[in-house]
Amino acid sequence: MAAAAYLEMRGVAMRFGDGAQAVSALDSIDLSIAEHEFVTIVGPSGCGKSTLLYLVGGFLRPTAGGVYLRGRGIDKPGPDRGIVFQRYSLFPWLTVRKNIGYGLEEKGVARVERDRIVGEYVRLVHLEGFEDRYPRELSGGMQQRVALAQTLACQPDILLMDEPFGALDAQTRRILQDEVRRIWRRDTKTVLFVTHDVEEAVALGTRIVVMSARPGRIKEVVTRGFDVADGEEFEANPAFAALKLHIWRSVKEEVKAARG
Amino acid sequence: MKMLPLALLVGAWQAAASAGLLPASVLPSFWEVAASLGGMLRSGEILPHTAASFGRAGAGFALGVAGGVVLGLLMARVRAVERAIEPILLLIYPVPKPALIPLFMVWLGIGDFSKIAVIALACLVPVVIAAYNGARSVDDMLIWSARARGTAQGRLLWRVVLPSALPQIAAGVRTAIAVAIIVLVSSEFISAETGLGYLIFSYGGVGADDAMLAVVIYLAVLGYALDRAYLAGLRRLMSWHAFAH
Ligand SMILES: Nc1ncnc2c1ncn2[C@@H]1O[C@H](COP(=O)(O)OP(=O)(O)OP(=O)(O)O)[C@@H](O)[C@H]1O
Ligand SMILES: [Mg+2]
Repeated sequence: MAAAAYLEMRGVAMRFGDGAQAVSALDSIDLSIAEHEFVTIVGPSGCGKSTLLYLVGGFLRPTAGGVYLRGRGIDKPGPDRGIVFQRYSLFPWLTVRKNIGYGLEEKGVARVERDRIVGEYVRLVHLEGFEDRYPRELSGGMQQRVALAQTLACQPDILLMDEPFGALDAQTRRILQDEVRRIWRRDTKTVLFVTHDVEEAVALGTRIVVMSARPGRIKEVVTRGFDVADGEEFEANPAFAALKLHIWRSVKEEVKAARG
Repeated sequence: MKMLPLALLVGAWQAAASAGLLPASVLPSFWEVAASLGGMLRSGEILPHTAASFGRAGAGFALGVAGGVVLGLLMARVRAVERAIEPILLLIYPVPKPALIPLFMVWLGIGDFSKIAVIALACLVPVVIAAYNGARSVDDMLIWSARARGTAQGRLLWRVVLPSALPQIAAGVRTAIAVAIIVLVSSEFISAETGLGYLIFSYGGVGADDAMLAVVIYLAVLGYALDRAYLAGLRRLMSWHAFAH
């Protein structure tokens, strides 16, 4: 018998509602992820990408099948799985500092140590000087960076990221992509990263999952056969361009199917 | 600028009285009322009544707000509490609370306790509803976010639900301030030897309309100042929230 995968979805289906109103968001999802993989997920809007992350997060329970972490069924959220939501959901009543330090505070990390760690992540996402602001005083992109720092500061084993850079400008996006890749390498984390952006999927993922139009199924899983270094101008890499085109065509087919 | 309509109203009132269009038996002139109020303030006779009223309204308000927040949050989070309280709340909601004063007097006597109890009940209602609605409309993502960052199920109420509901609770509390004043004065009409409601009622009873109106205006100004102070305090303490206007 093969060793159990680190993170595994077996025969997962997810339906919302019942009767005639029921929406089938995911169907027969089988996916095995090894520890320290960086898996990116692309697919048309509404195909169940967020739902898939919520299942791994333990926020939702599948209507069929199971989601397992180290062979144990996931049945609730936990700080071992950090998530950056698609709609940045910071606590509006907490300052940037307190938002980023939230998980540390819940863990009981002492104030001084907490402030030190928060300072590190503030620098990471380039928000120096905004520590005492409230989320509503920040732009969408800044809020998204706080959400990223908030999640990273909890030091989760698994990072779930739901289109985390959608609201960012191209340069910031590139910087943070490199940053996430660097953190993934350094801290040997496992990352599940949903994106609309095919280039981002190829630039980050060691494996790329393409999902079909609703109900979301796994259409294909492509292993990227080459490494992308931090700061690399991957546009110049022919292998990169070829893979990007392949994924792009695959997604385009599904987007067309979704439009009917 | 905001005071202009008010100034016009007062001006028209005084002009009508000066022109002899308003017999004193219908409405004393603004000037007489103002003079009467000035006298009460100078002599200080209105102060002990103000203090007595403040004590009652403050006690009832504090009890009502505290109870309302706790009850509203519990209703939103605990199914059994919701089922038990909701019908009672819906029943109490349309009852004019001053109508309950005689009943409370039977139970608690004609002293301050019955007044405080009615004020507390009246303040409780808008706060329960606000806390309940606020807690029920908490964004799922915030709950999930907190859970994924280590907050245990049992601490969600304190860490996420209460703060999320605060803006709505704050609006409910603002209503409660006005309600406290209304019910206070009604309760002091019915039985009291002190308080602003008692003053209004007793001046009215002896036909001292200028003094009666002076107390009414005094009360209106106090209420207005309280409301302004409350809003200003909120904006400072809850600067994380974008309040309307
Ligand atoms: N709580 C819910 N109740 C009912 N339907 C839902 C719920 N959540 C998601 N759905 C439906 O399930 C499907 C998948 O939604 P999901 O948000 O996972 O898609 P997505 O791939 O993340 O889309 P996008 O790229 O636009 O973010 C959609 O059709 C959506 O309408
Ligand atoms: Mg989504």
